[in-house]
This record gives sequence, C-alpha cells and structure tokens, in this order.
Amino acid sequence: MDFTFLIGQALTNGLIIGLLYLLMAIGFTLVFGVMRVVNFAHGEFYMLGAFVAYVCVTQLKLPFLAAVFATFAATLVVGWLIEVLVLKGFRGNELNGMISTIGLGMILQNGALLVFGPDPQSMPPVAQGMVSLGPIMLPMSRLYVVVFSIVVLALLYLFLMHSKGGRALRAVVQDPEIASAQGIRSNFMYPLGFGIGVALAAVAGALMAPVFSVSPSIGSTPLLKAFIVVILGGLGSIPGAALASLLLGVVESAANTFLSSSMSDMLLFGFVILMLIFRPSGLLGKSGR
Amino acid sequence: MHASPSISTMKPRTPADGGGVHKARWHLWLPGLLVLFALPFFSNSPFHMHLAVLVCLNIIFVNGLSLLSRTGQLSFCHAAFMGMGAYASVMATTHWHMPFLLSAVLGMAVAAAIAFLLGAVILRLQGVYFVLVTFCFGELFRLFLLEGGTYTGGANGIANIPPASIFGFAFDTKTSFYVLAAVCAFASIVLLIALFRTPQGTALDAVGDNQELAEASGIGIQRTQMFAFVLGSAMAGFAGALLAHYLGFVSPESFNQHISVAAIVMLVIGGRASVLGPILGALIMTPLPELFRSAIETQNILYGITLILVLKFLPGGLVGISGKLRRKGTKA
Repeated sequence: MDFTFLIGQALTNGLIIGLLYLLMAIGFTLVFGVMRVVNFAHGEFYMLGAFVAYVCVTQLKLPFLAAVFATFAATLVVGWLIEVLVLKGFRGNELNGMISTIGLGMILQNGALLVFGPDPQSMPPVAQGMVSLGPIMLPMSRLYVVVFSIVVLALLYLFLMHSKGGRALRAVVQDPEIASAQGIRSNFMYPLGFGIGVALAAVAGALMAPVFSVSPSIGSTPLLKAFIVVILGGLGSIPGAALASLLLGVVESAANTFLSSSMSDMLLFGFVILMLIFRPSGLLGKSGR
Repeated sequence: MHASPSISTMKPRTPADGGGVHKARWHLWLPGLLVLFALPFFSNSPFHMHLAVLVCLNIIFVNGLSLLSRTGQLSFCHAAFMGMGAYASVMATTHWHMPFLLSAVLGMAVAAAIAFLLGAVILRLQGVYFVLVTFCFGELFRLFLLEGGTYTGGANGIANIPPASIFGFAFDTKTSFYVLAAVCAFASIVLLIALFRTPQGTALDAVGDNQELAEASGIGIQRTQMFAFVLGSAMAGFAGALLAHYLGFVSPESFNQHISVAAIVMLVIGGRASVLGPILGALIMTPLPELFRSAIETQNILYGITLILVLKFLPGGLVGISGKLRRKGTKA
C-alpha cells in the first residue's frame, strides 16, 4: 500500500510538472523549428508571463482566466515585435541569432529587476483545498494548472493541425524553401512562430505564478528543463517534446523521491549528453541527421 | 542534400570585405598594447591594479575560446575548463603541496585531457547541437563540483588558497601578481599570433570559413577542431589556475554558465575573426561591470543592447570598425 501510494503520488506530481515542461518546451521547439534559433531568452518570457499575470491579478484586479489571456496576448505582441526588430536580421544565421537571444535575455531579466526589484512576490492562490483521487491527494491550485495547460495545449493542437496559419507554420518547420515556393510568406510566419512560442512560455509562467513565487530570476530553471526536453524529444519535433516532457516530469519526481535532487540532475544531464551524441534527432526522430 | 547547407551556417560570417582587409596587422597594434600593459604601474589605486589583473586573465581565457570559435564551433562550457584548471591546481597546491608552477601546468593538463576525451565524442556534432551539448556539460560540471564533497568543498568551495609563488618569490601583492598575469597574457597573445602564421593556424580559419572546401583540400575537420578545443581549453585551465591563486578562493559558481556566456559576449563584441578581437573584447568588457557596480541592472541592459547592436551592425565585432572607417575613407 505504502509503496504504491508513493509511486502514485510521484506519478501524478510528475505528470503535472510534465505538463508545465511541455508548455515551455513546445514554445521552445516551435521557435527552433520555424527559425532555427535556440532561444536563450525563453526562460525570461516565462518570467515575463508570471509578472504580467501577477500585475493583472494584484494591480488590475482581473480574474485569473482573464489574466492568462492577457498574458498570452501581450507576450504574443512583444514576441512579434522582437522578431521584427531584433531577430529579423539574423534569419539564416543560427549562431548569431542565438547569441542575440542571450542579449535579449539580459535585457528582459535586468529590466524586470529594475521594475520589480529582486525580492520574490507572492500571488494569491487561484483555488484552495484538496482533491483526493483514491489515496492520492491533489491540491486544487495544481489541478487548475493541469486543466489550463490541457486547454492551452488543445487549442494549440487545433490551431496547428486544423487552421490555415497552423498548417503554414508546420510547412515552414518542415521545409522553408518549399513552403515559400507554395506562397507562404516568411515575413508573416517568422514573427508568428516566435510570438506563439514565447507566448506559450509566458502562459506557463502565468499558470505557475500562483503556485510558486514570482521574481526576476525564476526563468532559468524552466529554460534548463525546456533544453533537456527539447534535446530528448529532438530539436523542432513537437510530438517528441510531448513525450519527453511527460517522461521527464515523471522520472524527475520519481527520482526526487528516492535520490537527492542534484544527484538526479547529474544523472539527467549525463543522459542528455549521451542522447545528443548518439541520437541527436531525439527519442522519436529517425536515427542519423 | 536535404536542408543541411542552409542550416549549417556555422561560420562567423566575415562580412563581404573579407578577412584580410579589416584585420589590423599585429605589428601595428602590438606596441600600443604594450603601452596599455604598462599603464597600471602609473596608478596608485589597488582597484585599478585589480582590474588590470582581471583583464589579463580574461585575455587568456577569451583567447582560448576564440581558437575554437575560429573553426566555426561555439563552446558554452569554456568556464568549466577554467574551473577544471582552477580546482586541479588548487588541489595540487593545498593537498599535495606542489609548487605553483607545476600545479598550474597540471591544471592546464587536466583541462586539456578532459577536452580531448570530451572532444573525441562531441566534436562530431555541429552548430546548435554542439552548443547544446557543451551547455549541458557545463551544467554537469557545476553539479559535479557541488556534489564533490570534501574534495571540492561543495557549494562552499575552497578558501585560503596560498598565493602563487615561483622559485621562492611569492606573487602576494596585486602589483607583483599583475606582472605575472601580464606576462602570461602577453605570452598567450604571442602564441596566437605565431599560430595563425603557421599552416595549422590557417587550417583553423579554413575549417571555420568553409568546411567542404577545407575537407576537399585535405584538412581534417574533426582533427583541426580537436586541436583548437584542446589548446583553447588548456588556456582556459591555465587562466583558472592563475585566477584561483590570485583570489585565494574558488567555488562552483565562479565557473558557471554566466562566466561561459560572459566569455562569448567578450569574444563577439571584440570580434571573432582576428587575434585582436578577443583582446579588445576583454579590455573593454572586463572593467565595465566593475566600474558600474552600483547600477548593475542598467549596466546589464546596456550589455544586452550592445551585444545585439554589434551583432547587427558589426558582425565582425569592434575590430571591424577600423575596416569600415577605412573603406568609407577610400570611397570619399
């Protein structure tokens, strides 16, 4: 009983965290797929999203749902502008594009430090109480995160699979040249892809803001997780990211039950390095590149 | 042929004016640099001396990174090799009471050996995959230091490291250590100038500029990149050994990702395609954050903006300015 309970609790916690990683990683992999840019500022958009939601709820007194929507819209616009103003010049040059996102990350993080200061802020919880599924206890606030992430992911799925814009975006991911030969305008798709990608990270930040505290430095851990997920799943692969993030969430929470956290991190990074060396196309990718 | 040529744009993209035009010849800037090296002696402020030492160490550090960068690969774990050099030499001097010079050589050797082993498996990766694998390795190394128990001191690091001493002479003041650091920095610069006058140095550039052409000319890509990775990491390890014995303290956070990123920023802002570039980057970017300690956020924002502006308008780095001005001059 005790052991199955532990496993069950670790599994559910892992799936919740995994969903969050998924939101981060899908945005990251989308940006990479469309623009071939490794976005080192991705974690800062998570942080930005948490702050936008925080301001919306505590200052503007918006309900949480509206705050999440506002976060998505605001960061989509910001991401669009950043693509046009900054990243546009580096299209086709993945290395310089990546270095410029390092600069972007510095600007965003230190901008947040200037505006909000270094102290962690706490946001009122969205819901209180616990839900029990058999012997497994779930705080309501986390259940909210699960529901919201599933809704966001479902909307993203519908958009990517069943809308004209989504199809065009996928076409650019698969083959930019053929896509442009088919009349897909990259001047529209690049900002859209970057905007959606960073807005997903921001939504992840907004969803986690009531659960954890909000401070300018919260972006680095989710960025690292997104890195790991995207490498395991294969750069640019969305199904790969989905599998890898749920797997990472579960493995991590199971490992944290039995191992010290930096020990499990070390094993994880070792595994990721092996993965990159022997299977750079990821868990689901075809072998070789 | 599927998609790979358009994706593997690894080269630092020397702008259309080509490599040779804007590259200042070394005999033009080296005397000026020597004058700069002498400047700290005219200041009585220990703070200036401290900055000068850091500049010298960063020159060695970033010079190492520039070697690999010229073959077209960007490493995100350069600080890890600095850390290896630092920890190895500190353990050698504190646990085994090795003389400083020997311990610095040991630190260099450890960094070079690990770079060799790592490079043998990861240098087959190109572009962003190499960036990601080095990023993960840097993080793994930091965690390893944290978990190292009594050997690495864990999160507390190692304190009370004895100052460097060579043949009984202790470099225990800022000024005397500066002499040591300046000599080492100068030696690393001369090493790079000499290297890039040999076929081996030209091979580095050839691999960075056009891999297919280099390979067709009989230059082994992996072998060349391996040479750059090992030598560059050894330089980082040496800089680490010096830094540890200068500050008297090392901790895992002295060698984390931020330090690797700082090296990349210095390299990119200074210029990736010449020997002068990394020197310029270290000269300009080292003192700035120390001088603006009170307004660190504004400073970092300016950093980010500078980085993006340099990438956008001076992709060859600040060394490219002279070439740009000269071309404007000839046009007028």
